[in-house]
Amino acid sequence: MNDVPELNSLIGHLFRHHSGKMAAVLSRTFGVRHIDLIEDGIQDAMIAAMKRWPFTGVPENPSAWLTQVAKNRTIDRLRRETTSQELGDTFDVAIDASQDAQFEGEVVDDQLRMIFACCHPSIPPDSQVALTLKIVGGFSVPEISRSFLASQESVAKLLTRAKSKLRDGDVSLEIPVGDELTTRLSPVLKVLYLMFNEGYAPTAGDEVVRRDLCFEAIRLVGLLTSQKSAHVPKVDALAALFYFHAARFPARVGGDGEMLVLGDQDRSSWDREMIGRGFQHLLASASGDEVTDYHLEAEIASLHATSQDLASTDWRRIIECYDILQSRNYSPVVELNRIVAISRMSGTSQAFPALEKLEESGLLRGYFLFYATKARFLTDLARPREAAISFEKALSLAHNESARNLLTKNMAELTERKI
Amino acid sequence: MPNFMLLLHEQPMDHSQFSAEEMQAVIAEYVAWRQKVEADGKFVSAEKLKDEGGRHLVHTDDGLRVTDGPYAEAAEVIGGYFTISADSYDDAVATASECPHLKFGGRIELREVEPTG
Repeated sequence: MNDVPELNSLIGHLFRHHSGKMAAVLSRTFGVRHIDLIEDGIQDAMIAAMKRWPFTGVPENPSAWLTQVAKNRTIDRLRRETTSQELGDTFDVAIDASQDAQFEGEVVDDQLRMIFACCHPSIPPDSQVALTLKIVGGFSVPEISRSFLASQESVAKLLTRAKSKLRDGDVSLEIPVGDELTTRLSPVLKVLYLMFNEGYAPTAGDEVVRRDLCFEAIRLVGLLTSQKSAHVPKVDALAALFYFHAARFPARVGGDGEMLVLGDQDRSSWDREMIGRGFQHLLASASGDEVTDYHLEAEIASLHATSQDLASTDWRRIIECYDILQSRNYSPVVELNRIVAISRMSGTSQAFPALEKLEESGLLRGYFLFYATKARFLTDLARPREAAISFEKALSLAHNESARNLLTKNMAELTERKI
Repeated sequence: MPNFMLLLHEQPMDHSQFSAEEMQAVIAEYVAWRQKVEADGKFVSAEKLKDEGGRHLVHTDDGLRVTDGPYAEAAEVIGGYFTISADSYDDAVATASECPHLKFGGRIELREVEPTG
């Protein structure tokens, strides 16, 4: 049972990743305005594999098999649903689905074109993430809804609106060049950032799917850095940020399934290889003269990644980075992080007034991490009764199992201290 | 060792809402089962039948009547079959009972093959 070559060809997310690749290749071949038919053709191919492979075994090159069948099924659907005149010569287009290096390079280009199309300025920003996940990432509507805590109906609605832009021919498949590249990259990077953040943020939802979101964001930013045409310093900054955060995945959950905050994480279990990649990208990101928010966030993450413990962390520089971020674009969540950094450098009593001020703003009224932080501050300040109230509040807002476990544990410790 | 046939009956169903991950997981289960059967030296053959349900032929007083499947009374089709070798019915049932087809809501008809010669 150790030798399982067929299974090996199915590891990871072959179907999900490959459906994204097929969507990109077939959109280039048949036109992105046929995106609905193309998606149906791809679904047909995967269904055919699901029904056939149990009996026939997995073909030697499953990706090539899927691509060929998806192409044929898409052509069948095009024949049925469009006029022959409109189709022109597209049927003659050969897709060589063998996996030679040249083909793989073309597929990367196709996927890049698709990413730029999904993040096109004519598509509403709130639809761009969902569309990129669906078409480029191969995620299903239920998966997107689970990871974003949105109903399937609202995800479907976002997708329909976004796809109508692709269907209407408002969006062309191209990798922008020159100044346009810089402009068009911004929403792309924003989408990848949101995708990663949604997977990383300890809010709620299906853990497995959410981690997949992070790795999908890493895969897509890797597509951008792998092609010279889209490889600019801020892309490296974003890649660095992703790698530094992803390196901490193994350390984020404790033995009792509770979420571990930075100070409690076993730093020896951080993924050194990912940290190394983070630094490669951070170095490359310094080549331009533009310092983006991604640069600053990556720098903060790098400072954590190289510190032995909280005490020896360079909080002064971290606070500086937060200050610059806040002066550009105020964010209450960044403010919370800044306040925590101040408490690490100068003590809780120094940081507490800023936290109270943030609370008065009301901007984080529904954010459990705010109340978890406040509870921790009050515990430090030996105000257990108020701390308990904040813990209760945090618990009422936290929907994620591991976060709730952490809060329960902290509350128990507080009770012990009172005795 | 005698051979046994596993006839995999199923209700035709709509898979259009299956996610890529779900479909891959279905395949992976069958592959794992089949590899175990092969590793035990019990795998003989397998074939998938086409999805459209085939034709149903009967002789009536009016002559031959050919109808399209699936047949109304069951609305079930045989998706395909596996042939395995096994010591006995008990042994064959043990192998068939682990086939993922059951888990996915299908029905398996297990028949011993009459040896030729």
